[in-house]
Amino acid sequence: MESKEIKLDDTQHVATKSPSGFSIIWREIVRDKIALVSLILLVLITSFVYGISLFLNQDEIVTVDLFAIHEPPGEDFLLGTDYGGRDIFGQLIIGTRNSLSIGILVTLMTGVIGVLYGLVSGYFGGTIDNIMMRIVDFFLILPFLMIVIVFVAIVPKYSVLSFSLIMTAFLWMGIARLIRSKALQEKELDYAQASKTLGSSNLKIMLTQVLPNLSSLIIVTMTLNLAANIGLESGLSFLGFGFPESTPSLGTLLSYARNPQTLEYRWWIWVPAAVLILVLMLSVNNVGQALKRATDARQRRG
Amino acid sequence: MAFLKVEDLKVHFPIKGGLFNRTIGAIKAVDGVSFEIEQGKTYGLVGESGSGKTTTGRAIVGLNEITEGKITYEGEELNIKGKAIDPRRDIQMIFQDPYSSLNPKKRVLDIVAEPLRNYEKLSRKEERQRVHELLEQVGLSPESILKYPHEFSGGQRQRIGVARAIALKPKLIIADEPVSALDVSVQAQVLNFMQDIQKELNLTYLFISHDLGIVKHMCDEIGIMYKGRYVESGTKQDIFNSPQHIYTKRLVAAIPDIDPKKREEKKQFRQEVQTEYEQSYNDYFDNEGLAYGLQSVSDTHLVALPEKG
Repeated sequence: MESKEIKLDDTQHVATKSPSGFSIIWREIVRDKIALVSLILLVLITSFVYGISLFLNQDEIVTVDLFAIHEPPGEDFLLGTDYGGRDIFGQLIIGTRNSLSIGILVTLMTGVIGVLYGLVSGYFGGTIDNIMMRIVDFFLILPFLMIVIVFVAIVPKYSVLSFSLIMTAFLWMGIARLIRSKALQEKELDYAQASKTLGSSNLKIMLTQVLPNLSSLIIVTMTLNLAANIGLESGLSFLGFGFPESTPSLGTLLSYARNPQTLEYRWWIWVPAAVLILVLMLSVNNVGQALKRATDARQRRG
Repeated sequence: MAFLKVEDLKVHFPIKGGLFNRTIGAIKAVDGVSFEIEQGKTYGLVGESGSGKTTTGRAIVGLNEITEGKITYEGEELNIKGKAIDPRRDIQMIFQDPYSSLNPKKRVLDIVAEPLRNYEKLSRKEERQRVHELLEQVGLSPESILKYPHEFSGGQRQRIGVARAIALKPKLIIADEPVSALDVSVQAQVLNFMQDIQKELNLTYLFISHDLGIVKHMCDEIGIMYKGRYVESGTKQDIFNSPQHIYTKRLVAAIPDIDPKKREEKKQFRQEVQTEYEQSYNDYFDNEGLAYGLQSVSDTHLVALPEKG
């Protein structure tokens, strides 16, 4: 009986003050236990990795030590060593940091480019839209993998930034198309038309009227893209088209498993990296799905 | 010199199709419309949906490109063909749908202040003060300044739309079916309020509606549109007391009467008009079902009739 009254009170409170975007997202994540666990895992992993990597020296870790080749996990090396005697634990931490940084950087850069491009294309429509979308089509038919392989061969020094830039160049089209289709709908609505009669410039309408209405779509897409981008980086590094061994990433650690000896007898080299990739991608995806539901009132659970 | 003069306005939308997306035809949304409005008066534009009344209004504010014709406002030509839209602070619009015409992500303050930010350089404090005044003027409590549009009812939202339209103290307001999305009780509220501010600010309205009852209540002069053309125009008395065109007669007959005693009588009258409409349809409309050119019946009264002889 008592609990019922409290609930009634709650709904009244909601009715007088509508919940903000963040509280809706938070409610949705709390209601979805898997998403909540994923979010906690993500925060823990990220803060742990970025925190510890501050105290680690990358050059020291990737220096070859011939006296410690293929050490199993033990006191000296928490997760053992690889064929160059390099500490796996240190590589794992720095590798996760690099992979995460690339994922985040690529997501942000593709996000900014894609959103602005799609917004301009969709908002102006007509001939401008036609030309801009043909450019997108051109980028879409380029063979991504082949061009990345060529870039790896040409670019002499490979860093997190240059790798992110290469990936960004081929990954901005998806979000651009998505935003364009939504902007096409949005600009026809009366509020955008009203802004025109009130004397707002096109730029102002695009950025201050239309863009805020696309924010939920942008957040959801970028979160889901983050998972995909982490996976993509690992995949490329695994195939040997990502980072060299001097710059560890989750993918380079995983690529040691291409050696059948390592695959069968030295699990400590590749299993942790594989598990981390899996956990990271799944967690980001779960949080993304919860966000996606939060943006659509009909799908909400919270 | 007329305050607003529309001469032979045509707005055609191209139909694309065939090979290479050529223009293969045109929808003649507005096809040769002319009228004049005097300052401080309310001009009603009436017609069924698809008759081009909204397109006419949107062409005047500049949201639809003009295909042919001329719109002059205080002697100045508006929205010249081929130019980008040229918004005027003197001409504002009230939109039909109070739900989609307010940006759901913006607070009332930002919505009402938008025109002020575009045209007047006010400090934050002055701006807030002005928005307060405007909200009071439309009968909303000033506390609602930080709320979002979805926290209001339809009528309140329409008032926010009105507050935004009058923020710049315009001279002409194009009211595109401002009450057709509202409950009848709220309709009266908004309409009376619109009349009040008309007196207060000496506003001129171009009132677009399909509801003759409301038009009778609001307007001084009326134009009736059908399929992009005028069928009849004149003063309120001309239209309601002596409708000449069969289409107008039918519209006037369709106005509901609240007196239950006259119910049978009204019904019979409507049926008579309906039979007349069916029988004489060909006398009033040409082969394509469009209205003829306007002929004057009296000084103020114009009717679309076939030329005699």
